[in-house]
Order: sequence, then C-alpha cells, then structure tokens
Amino acid sequence: MSQKKIHEDQKYIVGLVENNAFIIQAIYDKFAPKVINYIKQNSGDVSSAQDIIQETIITIYNQAIEKDLKLTCPFDAYFFLLCKRKWLNQLKKTGNKEVTINEEVLSKDDDAQELAFETSLFEQQHSLYKDMFEKLGQACKDLLKATFKIKSMEEVAKSLGVTYAYARKKKSLCIGQLTKWIQESPTFKNLKS
Amino acid sequence: MQEQDYILFEDYLSGALDAVEIVAFENRLQNDLEFNKAYKTYVHASKFLETHLENEEKQKAFKANLESVSSKYFAKEESSKIRFKGINPWYYSLAAAAILVIGFFFAQQFSNPVYGDYANYGTISLTVRGQQSEVLSKAETAFNSRNYKEAETYFSQALKTDTNNMELQLYRAVSLVELNNYNEADALFDDIIQTPSVYKNKAIWYLALSKLKQGDDAASINVLKTLPKDSEDFKEAQKLINKLK
Repeated sequence: MSQKKIHEDQKYIVGLVENNAFIIQAIYDKFAPKVINYIKQNSGDVSSAQDIIQETIITIYNQAIEKDLKLTCPFDAYFFLLCKRKWLNQLKKTGNKEVTINEEVLSKDDDAQELAFETSLFEQQHSLYKDMFEKLGQACKDLLKATFKIKSMEEVAKSLGVTYAYARKKKSLCIGQLTKWIQESPTFKNLKS
Repeated sequence: MQEQDYILFEDYLSGALDAVEIVAFENRLQNDLEFNKAYKTYVHASKFLETHLENEEKQKAFKANLESVSSKYFAKEESSKIRFKGINPWYYSLAAAAILVIGFFFAQQFSNPVYGDYANYGTISLTVRGQQSEVLSKAETAFNSRNYKEAETYFSQALKTDTNNMELQLYRAVSLVELNNYNEADALFDDIIQTPSVYKNKAIWYLALSKLKQGDDAASINVLKTLPKDSEDFKEAQKLINKLK
C-alpha cells in the first residue's frame, strides 16, 4: 500500500483488534442499517444481512490482525462496499436471482474501492490457506500448532516425544505439503499474489 | 518440488545453511523460476501459519463477542418489525392524536429533562485477559445488573493492574455518577477527555449527563457543546441542549 494518510475511522479497526464490544456495537448501530436495506432491496432478507455483516467484520478483523490493516478512507464506504460485494457474490453462486444495483448507494470513493479490493484478495487468500491447513493430517496439524505456539524447536520435539531432527524435517515437509496444495489450487492460480 | 527442496527452504529460513550453501541457494532462487515460486509460497504459508495459529485464541474470543453483539442487534431489529406489523393505518392517526394530547399534558407538567431519561448504558461486555478475567467478569455482571457499588469496587481493583485501560476508567466513572460521587467521576471523565482514545466522545456525553444529574444545567450545556459533530451522541446532545435552554 502506498503512503496514504490514515483516516480517523481507523479507530474502528483498532477497536476490532482490541475486541472492544463498545466499538463492535457502534459499527452495528452506525453502519448495519444501510447494508440491511441494500440486501433487502436485492433479493435478500434480514437473516442473510446478519450473516454477511458478521462475515465481513471477521474478514476485516483478520486482515487487521494478520496484515496490520490501515484505513485510508471512511469506514462507512469501505464496509458497505465489502458487504455489497460479498452479497453479490453469494447471489451469483446461488444463481438466477435478479440484482438491481442502486447507483446512489454505490461508493465513488477510489480509496475505498482500492482498499475493499485488497481486503477481498486477502479474504480469498486467507480462506484458501485455512482450507488447505485443515486438509493436512492430524500429525502435521499438531506439529505445526506446537511449532508456532512454542517457537523453540527443541521444546516442540520434547512435547511431542520425537527427536529434534525429526521435528525439523517434519515441519518442512508439512509446510511443503501445504505449499504444494496451495500452488495446485485453482483459486491460487486466479489470485495473483 | 522434491521433499529435499522443502527441507532446504526451512534450513535457509532458519539460518541453518553455511555461507557456501546460502550462495548456492540464492543462485537457484534467481535462476530456477519454479523453485522461486515454490519458495515464495512456502514463505507465505509459513507467515500465514504463524499469525493464524498464534492468534487462534484471540480470534475465538473475538468471534464470540461479535456473535453476541450481532444477535442482540438483530433481535432488536426483529422485535421492532413485529411490533409494527399489520397495524391498520387508521390506528396510526388515532395513536398520533392520543400522543399529541398526552404529550401536550406532559410537556406542560414536566418540561425539564432529567438524568434518568438519558442514562441508558446498555449492557457491557469486557474483554477477558489472563489473570484479570475473574475480576472483569464480576465487574461486568455487577454493572449489567445495575449494582454500581459492587461494579465500582471491581473496576477499581482491575485498574490497579491495568491503570491505563480507558474502557474500565469510563465504566468506573459511570458507576461513580450512579453512586452520586460526582467529584471523582467528573475528574475521571476529564482525564479521559484529555486523551485521544476512542472513549473520548462517550466521556464528554457522560460528563454532560453527570452535570445534568447534579442539576447544573449550564455546565451540562457547556460540556454538550464540545461534542464533535461526527460523534454517536451528537443528535441526542443537540436535543438535550434545546430542552435545557
């Protein structure tokens, strides 16, 4: 990301990272009604809006935690764009529903468009990596969890009752397997990372 | 890629290669495109695992908190919808007329706004962090059941080890207002207002309510006027100012 000025709405991102119920509540109070209206006007109902909003907030949270997300536009525009795209994608998947795009509520903010695009790339990448990790065998999962939580490979080996050399080799091969699956997946080929 | 290549990636990343091996490795990175691509993906996957697995617990706590806020918010949405469903429009005018009559009566009788009209703190949910969790959850329960005396004690206790936690300071100040301990409450609000924290505007709004409870309308108006336009309580504040004038 280029050196753009951070928007004052970064406070919402900080609040999410801190798991601050006050801020989460404020996000719902301020920004949810617009999303609910949009989804209701476009073949959806309140319960689909609830899911879309929740998933979007989790994506923003993950990006903030894992990639140090910096907001360069108003939260309102960014959040609405993300929810809207997520909803349109879902409609596309279920097919044959008519979608009316209300130009008035579309954001014309370039920064918001750019940032929302980055976030959706992050989301696709994140869910690909997560799915592939889930596909690994239990032994690999346990070893990797121990590796990244305990940090010291000697201690990891001790806790799993294997030799240090074996733990190291196994770690490379487990991440290697993950690497292979990620490279082979069609989603990865579409994502130019 | 062969198993041997992945082992090599890990050795390179963990600094286990000697100088000659490093040169050979970096040469291969430059000249072998497939090797280079696999290495980059390996690094990404490692980074992903590191942040994802490290933050697993935090993420779980966040999701739980989010789900609770979301279901409360949407339960409110649903109930407001049900309440207005299927009412004959004719009743609206009857209701409006009745409200006008009653409203007029009340406006004549009690035109002054009181603290109780605005003191709506909702329920709070505090992040659980390590050793403090027990004190925090007691504070939360006490505050949510409006037992402010107990809540204040627990907030003070938690603040001993987490002195700069603005969220706890804010709720402690609110509890103090409820306990009519205004001097200490107002001083705390003032402290929070001086900081750039996300609780700044809430502190301004609650300070104004504290002044209202103390019967100092002029002070309340002055505080309300400092509330920025984009703050959550701005509209409510403008209404209150008009009523107090």
